[in-house]
Amino acid sequence: MGFELFKKEAAILENAKAFIESGAIRNRQAAAEFEALLGAYDKLFKSTRKLVRLSDRREAELNKLAKSLDDKNAMLQGLSEKLSKYLSPQIYQSIFSGEQEVQLETKRKKLTVFFSDLKDFTATTEDLQPEDLSYLLNKYLTEMSAIALDYGATIDKFIGDAMLLFFGDPETRGVKEDAAACVRMAMAMQNRMRELQHIWLDKGYERPFFMRIGINTGYCNVGNFGSAERMDYTIIGGEVNLAARLEGQAEPGGVLMSYETYALVKDFVEAEERSALRVKGIAREIRPFAITNIYDEGLTTRKFIRKERYGLNVLADLERLQGEDREVAIAELEDVIRGLKDGA
Amino acid sequence: MDNIKIDATERSPEIDFDFAANRFRVKGESYPEDVTAFYGELIEALDEHLRGLKGATVGFEFELVYFNSSTAKVLMGLFDSLDEVAGQGNDVRITWVVEEDDDNMEEMGEEFAEDLENATFELKKIES
Repeated sequence: MGFELFKKEAAILENAKAFIESGAIRNRQAAAEFEALLGAYDKLFKSTRKLVRLSDRREAELNKLAKSLDDKNAMLQGLSEKLSKYLSPQIYQSIFSGEQEVQLETKRKKLTVFFSDLKDFTATTEDLQPEDLSYLLNKYLTEMSAIALDYGATIDKFIGDAMLLFFGDPETRGVKEDAAACVRMAMAMQNRMRELQHIWLDKGYERPFFMRIGINTGYCNVGNFGSAERMDYTIIGGEVNLAARLEGQAEPGGVLMSYETYALVKDFVEAEERSALRVKGIAREIRPFAITNIYDEGLTTRKFIRKERYGLNVLADLERLQGEDREVAIAELEDVIRGLKDGA
Repeated sequence: MDNIKIDATERSPEIDFDFAANRFRVKGESYPEDVTAFYGELIEALDEHLRGLKGATVGFEFELVYFNSSTAKVLMGLFDSLDEVAGQGNDVRITWVVEEDDDNMEEMGEEFAEDLENATFELKKIES
């Protein structure tokens, strides 16, 4: 005989029944009491068995439910991952962590706005097969998005070949750092574009794309715009239009920024001032600056030494400081060192 | 005895006890916070009524979609009482109503009924 869950209890019942039937209890009242007790035990025993079965069944049901919940969760996670591709990762993250409310709400924030497009994209694409166009555009946007995310940009939208990105919301590292990250990202993109131009030429695309970039820093309205049913997390305002306008004025392969951005990055960026602009919706005259060089390891091949800390900012361009110029620079730096040591 | 009618809540079933017609019904989910508080007076009233019956026809319908272990204990006691009343010369019919795909509830009803000696048990399947 195999294992029985209630073997012991069943045996007690059987023994007790046999005991009564044997007539061993001579006292009638005692026999009746014992029989009543046995009946109650029997009933309790049956109830226990039923309750244990009920409990097991409920447990099995719960496990089944938990499994189906796991499956549903996995499905929802898969779906939300797919949906997340339609959103900027920062926006997705802030919505899913509960930090961001999904409602029509905007705020004013100082952002650094990035606008780019490809020069003569429409004209170039007229000669391309749709498959080639898809390949080139997707390759370009994929590469640029990866760089954007590396530098922490919020990708607002792609409009054909154009990209609107910004820094400073939903996360910010401070206005100056946001502007610096944006400029570094822009330079990294132009560097990558130069590599892509070679790749595309090798693949037989004779008119490779050139990217133009405009950057501006200023107060924008950021948040959810649209309707309660369909909304876009985006930025609007004159400062956004200015970034687009700067982009239109930028040289192919170049980065044009407003003075407001330049002032925040001039410690490590070299730029040339261009003709002033007037932009609708902005009262002030716009002073554009075209980036000519960036002193940032990994973004330039130029040799330089840069030291920056609170109260100290040194940048030595080793390519420019040649011969006598270098001697003069060394003497000046030695003066600085002496001054620092003397505490003057 | 006055009829008892209690609306269902999220955790307790609808109670419809028609003492004059000897028709009783428990319907819904049953996992009250305090099973004794919910069923105590109901069972007391029912036992008192059933004790006085002779040659009566009693219909008791259970239509439960979920109940907890404490409720199961109450139901077993109720089945015992009904079986006892049936043994005292009354026609007692217990109807266990289950949704057609609810195998668990069907099995539980059958288990509760397996010790019935006098009352009649009927399993009724309804569309889910």
